Amino acid sequence: MAGIVLKARFPRRHVVEAVIRNVFRYLFQGAARNWARNFGSTAPALSSMALLLFLSGLIGLTGFALYNLEQIEAGQASMLHVYLRDDADATDVFTLRNRLALDPRVATVDYTSKAQALQHAQTVPGLPQLAGASGSNPFPASLDVQVKSIDEVAAIDAVARISPAVDPVYPTSYDRGAYQRIQSVLLAVAVVGIVFLALLGFVAVTVTINSIRAAIHSRRDEVAILQLVGAPRWMVRGPFIVEGAITGSLAGAAAGLVTFGLALAGIAEGSASFSQFAPGVTVTAAAAAGLIVFAVGLGLGSGSSLLSVRRHLES
Amino acid sequence: MLSRLLRPDAREAKGRPIVEFNSVTRAYGSRLALDDVDFSLEPGELAFLVGPSGAGKTTLLKLINRELRPTQGEVWIDGIAAHELKASRVAELRRRVGVVFQDYKLLPRLTARENVALALQVGDLRVSDHEARERALDALEAVGLGDRGDSMPHELSGGQQQRVAVARAVIRKPPLLIADEPTGNLDMDTAWGITDLLEDIAAFGITVLVATHNIEIVTRLQRRVLTLVNGRLVRDQPAGQTGRMAWLASS
Repeated sequence: MAGIVLKARFPRRHVVEAVIRNVFRYLFQGAARNWARNFGSTAPALSSMALLLFLSGLIGLTGFALYNLEQIEAGQASMLHVYLRDDADATDVFTLRNRLALDPRVATVDYTSKAQALQHAQTVPGLPQLAGASGSNPFPASLDVQVKSIDEVAAIDAVARISPAVDPVYPTSYDRGAYQRIQSVLLAVAVVGIVFLALLGFVAVTVTINSIRAAIHSRRDEVAILQLVGAPRWMVRGPFIVEGAITGSLAGAAAGLVTFGLALAGIAEGSASFSQFAPGVTVTAAAAAGLIVFAVGLGLGSGSSLLSVRRHLES
Repeated sequence: MLSRLLRPDAREAKGRPIVEFNSVTRAYGSRLALDDVDFSLEPGELAFLVGPSGAGKTTLLKLINRELRPTQGEVWIDGIAAHELKASRVAELRRRVGVVFQDYKLLPRLTARENVALALQVGDLRVSDHEARERALDALEAVGLGDRGDSMPHELSGGQQQRVAVARAVIRKPPLLIADEPTGNLDMDTAWGITDLLEDIAAFGITVLVATHNIEIVTRLQRRVLTLVNGRLVRDQPAGQTGRMAWLASS
């Protein structure tokens, strides 16, 4: 056997195991240990972030409900009632109805007779007295036109009101300012919400950056030693980013759960009225909001830690 | 025991210096910490860097370890251009340079063995815990602390902590070891122990550069001496020709 050299292969599985174990130890285990050790200094950041994320969750859910409200209002505003003269010729009414029904901008056209209009009016608070005060039926027959887009209502109105079948005094229900008023109110609410969310985000990022900065400062000797023994950059920076992610995810989980719980309680308490003033806020939507809050917390925590590390950790 | 640690991977001379400074200047604002310094160190060479406080010794060591960049000139470490090395690649250079400090710089929460193993595993993630443990214990044994692997740094004397730091610095068998006042916090007997260790390390092919104020050690060892004064390399005395260095002691 003299002269034979045995070359053993290094078992690859063991190498992979060692790499995974070392990465886990230096990146995650070290970060978790340091996070727990520095809990006292991290707690203010954690609670502020949780509070801010909770507020953001609430604002988000409110925004979602307002968006749905706007959609409902838009749907209602895009319904154009074309009021017909009492003495309108049936052919004129038929022609107008056909013309509107064939218009590509129109979704549907329904006819409401005077009797149906009266019947409907009796369900609306205040109108039955008006109906009773008059000897005859004061409510006109109408064509109820559902326009596909709110922006096209004015054009359809212009088409309808020139028909001889239409009441010349009060031709349609079109109110140029109504939808614009809704839109401007909602736009103002959205702008305020976005500004508030941005402010909350800025505060959350600042709080986390400062907490990671404090962590870097308290472990500057350890960081210096790691750098001097040749630890790669990810190994020095990574644990701080993981620490930020832990803070962010815990804050996000707490805020997400509270947001979800609060929405659930609202839904359970007043199911009928809740769906009216917060349309679309269902259990699924609340759960999605909770998950989004959690994800935002995780992202904010790790992202702001990354910013802090880049700014405060020398290489 | 040191042979077991160092001999298998001791670097062969590749015909190029391990450290090469070419017209290196380093300024802090308007003050020159190093001024047009030229020198080189060959593989296995043990050299002392001496000079009064503020002469630029630490700056020179920091340039070697790429903690600083030169304002002008070139710094080559084992063939790596440290003067133009990107921050993302500094770790590669530092794995080729073992460092020993006056204040040891051990992680207080880790045992002696873990401190040594850390340097091994952060540089090479493929090293398993078992291998790291064995090699760390070998390194500690090589520096005379085989039985203190499980001790925490605060349970060790200054000299022992410095030995742990030396074990940490050489466990990856780097081609270069730099030491900044390694005996500064130690009594004379302990200082001699550390100096003997550094001599042994150099004997196994590792280039060793020691910044020191300890004239007694410098004069007794009669190794190459680089003298810095006000940032300028004013003397480069070859081994065996350092004399008594009385002029430095008096300065």
